[in-house]
Amino acid sequence: MLPQALIHNFAYLLRGAEFTLLLSAGSIALSTAIGVGVALLHVFAVAPIRILVELYLFLARGIPLLILLFAMYYMLPYVGIDLQPTIGGILVIGVYYGAFMSQVFRAAILSLPKNQWDAARGLGMRRSLMLEIVIFPQAFRIAAAPFVNTCMQLIKSTSLVSIIGLWELTMAGRETVERTLAPFQIFAGVALIYFCLCYSLAAYGRQLEKRMRYVH
Amino acid sequence: MSTEPVPQGVAPLIEIRGLSKRFGRTQVLHDVSLTVTKGQTVAVIGPSGSGKTTMLRCINLLEEFEEGEIVFDGKPIGYHSGPGGRRRRLPEREVAATRSDIGIVFQSFNLFPHMTVLRNIVAAPVRVKGIDRITAERVARELLDRVGLADKASEYPMRLSGGQQQRVAIARALAMQPKLMLFDEVTSALDPELVGEVLAVIKQLAEDGMSMVLVTHEMQFARDVAHTVVFMAEGRIVEHGPPRTLFANPQSDRLRAFLRRYREAYLL
Amino acid sequence: MPLDVNFILRNLPLFWKGLVVTVELSLLAIGLALVWGLVVAFARMSPRWPLRTAAAAYIELVRDTPVLVQMYFIYFGFSMAGLGLTGFVSGLLALSLQNGGYIAEIYRAGIESVSVKQVEGGKALGMSYWDVMSLVVLPQALVRVIPPLANQFIVVIKDTSLVSAIAVAELTQIGKLLTERTAASYEVFLTIAVIYLIMTGIVSGLSRLAEHRFAIYY
Repeated sequence: MLPQALIHNFAYLLRGAEFTLLLSAGSIALSTAIGVGVALLHVFAVAPIRILVELYLFLARGIPLLILLFAMYYMLPYVGIDLQPTIGGILVIGVYYGAFMSQVFRAAILSLPKNQWDAARGLGMRRSLMLEIVIFPQAFRIAAAPFVNTCMQLIKSTSLVSIIGLWELTMAGRETVERTLAPFQIFAGVALIYFCLCYSLAAYGRQLEKRMRYVH
Repeated sequence: MSTEPVPQGVAPLIEIRGLSKRFGRTQVLHDVSLTVTKGQTVAVIGPSGSGKTTMLRCINLLEEFEEGEIVFDGKPIGYHSGPGGRRRRLPEREVAATRSDIGIVFQSFNLFPHMTVLRNIVAAPVRVKGIDRITAERVARELLDRVGLADKASEYPMRLSGGQQQRVAIARALAMQPKLMLFDEVTSALDPELVGEVLAVIKQLAEDGMSMVLVTHEMQFARDVAHTVVFMAEGRIVEHGPPRTLFANPQSDRLRAFLRRYREAYLL
Repeated sequence: MPLDVNFILRNLPLFWKGLVVTVELSLLAIGLALVWGLVVAFARMSPRWPLRTAAAAYIELVRDTPVLVQMYFIYFGFSMAGLGLTGFVSGLLALSLQNGGYIAEIYRAGIESVSVKQVEGGKALGMSYWDVMSLVVLPQALVRVIPPLANQFIVVIKDTSLVSAIAVAELTQIGKLLTERTAASYEVFLTIAVIYLIMTGIVSGLSRLAEHRFAIYY
């Protein structure tokens, strides 16, 4: 007995998946940019700025993403900002995950042995040069696996924007279920598509992790 | 009380005066003074925790120090005494410039693992001193040849033995054409059979006239290569002098005890 | 921006009702997940190949799909099949199943992090596998899993907000309803955010206390 409803609507779901990828790509780019900046601030900046960073991390760790999405959805119109929902979604998810990305990058930077810093400084390198050719290349390698895993979590989180009415894979699934009344099939299909995306990332992350062990 | 070993009549390359440093509440260096002239090799010996490495790291400003001053090539480095005697750390630009004239080789080699041997050596000359890549690579290959590793230019550090990595580290430091070289127990982390090749390179450097300060446990080497040996203990310079007299006729009890234990350990 | 504190005070009973549901759901979910996770962990480490693979597949499945989709699957699926589960139960099931998978991995990492040498040491002294497990490995593993488990608890607390999408009157849902009714979105979300921060903050604090207390066992 074939899952007819799923098969007939699979293409529609895939279109939703395209949108999920679009959202994810935008959010990943934003959160990575924020993550690098915040990580650098967290490691190098003066104490008052570091305290602000810790506040940012505390808020992102303690407040559910859905609350932030709701806040954006309900509050922005009142402040007079007219934001396209998709952009709003990318902004919120990007800023939220920026905190987690920053922790990944900061851990990577701090995990480098102190003697790399010594050697670079001993050669007369200034901090910007040191970061550019010694620290960052090595830190990126270390951060690669946890970065990929964080990206995977982000992709799963994009499903939340369906709750505020944004159209992507999960929303496409809900619409299809309302039409076909075959929730098990359809949501299984939705889950399957997410699974394919996320499993490949998870597997890639594990591969990166294994490769890391042979480097240092 | 002056503890500076100054060969008469020669202008000093680097003068350390009254260096004192604390780590938290522990005083690790007490009023250390030392002078090195051009072409001189100074070996620093002493028990662990005597402050030898800390002093070395103060010389190229990898560590900060609370009191004292260091005058390198006629200019005070690292700090600047403003009007009214206030002391401020010099800007990063100047500290980095000083460091590019002082080479340092560490106990744990500290090569950059993500770069080939060649790139390890040319990275700083090209990016810090602005030397063009072609010249830098030529010089790098000459240096590799000098340390006996001409064929390893495109290898990654991971594939080299400890002794080879250390020789690359020496070449990397020399590529910056420093006026002074610092060696921080550079053979302590090596397997015994690899120590010789590194010491040979350093000996050659000394004979070629490089000014250097060498923190080491290799007493034989210190005796053969150094012009002056400095003995440190508990953050102070206890004794100093030419190796022959120092080892044959130690003046202080501390040094006598140190040498006695050394001889017992190595059955000399 | 001026804050209408009276508004918050007036609606405290409503917030409280939502909070109670959130706390109930969180505690039940983490409790079930802790137990279920143990079962899955042992299946994952079993010497029997089919059990190991089934557990691994299960863990991979729940980790690589969004928990919201899992909730929809259970909620809409079972209601269509005639077995109407409430939003609360559906959410509880989904949260327990998903976090059970994550927690199983946390347990496994904790157990495997206790050095193999200790197991060998125990066996050399003549202990049986279970003796070694209960006297040597598990006590140390337990200490090491406290931080990641606390972290998972925080994840659960935050994920309870998702059940607002399947009509459960927990904290987030209350907030949404209040905002739609009164348009005082700023006060509402500020209050809710603070409440979540307090909840997660308490868990973090307890976790750090526990780490501190057991630090000697590292």
